[in-house]
Amino acid sequence: MTVPLHMAKEEAVRALGLEVVPTDQRPEKLLARLAETVGSMRSLAVMLDTCTKCGNCMRQCHSYLGTGDYHNFPAARADLVRRLYRRHFTRSGRWLGRLVGAEDFDAQTIERWTTYFYQCNECRRCAVFCPFGIDTAEITIAARHMLTSIGVVPKFMQGVAANLRKTGNNMGIPKPALLDSVEFLQDELKEETGLEIAIPVDKPGSRILYVPSSADFFSNVDTMLGAAKLFHTLGADWTIPSGLLEAANFGLLFHWPAMREHNRRLAETAAALGAELVVQGECGHGWRAARLGSEGASGPVSFRLLHVLEYAAQNLDRLTLRRLPLRVALHEPCNYVRGGGILEPPRQILRAIVEELVELTPNGQESFCCGGGSGILMDEMMDIRLKLGRRKAEQVQALGRLDYLAAPCSICKAQLPHVMKHYGMGDLAIGGILDLLGKAIILNPGEIK
Amino acid sequence: MSYVEISGKQIEVDEDGFITDPELWNDDIVRAFAHLEGVDELTENHWKVINYLRDYWKKFGSAPITRKLCKETGFTLQQIYEMFPSGPAKGACKLAGLPKPTGCV
Repeated sequence: MTVPLHMAKEEAVRALGLEVVPTDQRPEKLLARLAETVGSMRSLAVMLDTCTKCGNCMRQCHSYLGTGDYHNFPAARADLVRRLYRRHFTRSGRWLGRLVGAEDFDAQTIERWTTYFYQCNECRRCAVFCPFGIDTAEITIAARHMLTSIGVVPKFMQGVAANLRKTGNNMGIPKPALLDSVEFLQDELKEETGLEIAIPVDKPGSRILYVPSSADFFSNVDTMLGAAKLFHTLGADWTIPSGLLEAANFGLLFHWPAMREHNRRLAETAAALGAELVVQGECGHGWRAARLGSEGASGPVSFRLLHVLEYAAQNLDRLTLRRLPLRVALHEPCNYVRGGGILEPPRQILRAIVEELVELTPNGQESFCCGGGSGILMDEMMDIRLKLGRRKAEQVQALGRLDYLAAPCSICKAQLPHVMKHYGMGDLAIGGILDLLGKAIILNPGEIK
Repeated sequence: MSYVEISGKQIEVDEDGFITDPELWNDDIVRAFAHLEGVDELTENHWKVINYLRDYWKKFGSAPITRKLCKETGFTLQQIYEMFPSGPAKGACKLAGLPKPTGCV
């Protein structure tokens, strides 16, 4: 079979400090990793043991529904790990083999893992519907991390990780470029509002450390401008960090040590500046990694952590707002509703600033992924990405005329324009919630009658 | 890695067709990439965008904010897409010999 991904070259993988296991030793090493992972992650063993193939997840998985590929049926995807687990780590599998779904390593195992664990968006929707609560995203995450541990890494993940190591952000923006961009954005704010609105960089002693997505300094500038207006109008003492200009944490998506390293850097950055509150920008999986991984996985931290949408929602009554004449739908990033406890804040904000907020069906904890989740943003995956986004497109289509699709996550913002264009909605404006909030905030209330 | 032959020379490109050594960039590469990227004719306007990106990258080591690119060159984002069908990141940056912008874009 042909893996649809571009894989990173060996020297590039080694440059990340990772081991590249020679091809002939990979089966043995991968089994050793599986033994370690199952041994240290009790939840994984339970999820591998309990599936009854009831088929519930088949009807709920946008990846299977979009691609029609059997291996994208969550239980079948998990089986790619389960077969080996049964064969090597259960008594019945050792004795009865295929009779109990146990199978040996074969020539296609690693290709299959690489192909199908990178067609799961780790959205966790299957877990909501599984009677046993089996979370295929956790199995996908574990499998991707095991692949990484033998040196099998997509080029896209490797490129992002290399940029992060070099510059502290996924896009590879060095500090001089950031400072130039900040100057440009401050000029934009001045031109629009007539006010001096600062975007402080590395300001020592700041109370709030704001961690945006680095894409906010490339394609999603309105998100950054909205954040700047929000902090400015609240009189907040805030700054952004040049050394960790990244809410995203791709380590969660392919390499746990990289995730922990990112969280450690976040804690160090906050401590060095003396920030007591860290506010994470519009990024889905990064919020999950920061919220669930900062304390515990990476030790105690000295700051409180809020998502910027929580921060904005908590301060809504302190803002003077105009209502934008827009019919807006809310696309909910998976890691907010199923991995990070953010359900109401986006709605509270949108209800306060737009004429009409319409809900997708289903929504909330049952919402569908954009199809780019977990870093499936590679160009070579575009055909598959469009299939993964089909359910989302159908949901949006069902709402009729919309002025704006609010998608408060950089991955969703990168993926959805392709999906909407492909399914005949190329004219639909797509962007963040801060983008709209920035346009709704009245900065000089005295001037408005 | 793969190679494309440009003016009789083998130029190394990555899987996405971006040159791997930005130092090798020259006008012949721009013309060859233009053809591959669906740019029929390289006009003065194309060169304005390409040269701006090139100069910015040399000075700051990354691609500029897309809005800044538009403002400084005087083109709307739509006009840039009309000139470079793959867009500012995957089209214009490729012709300008920059590394491919990566991350959530």
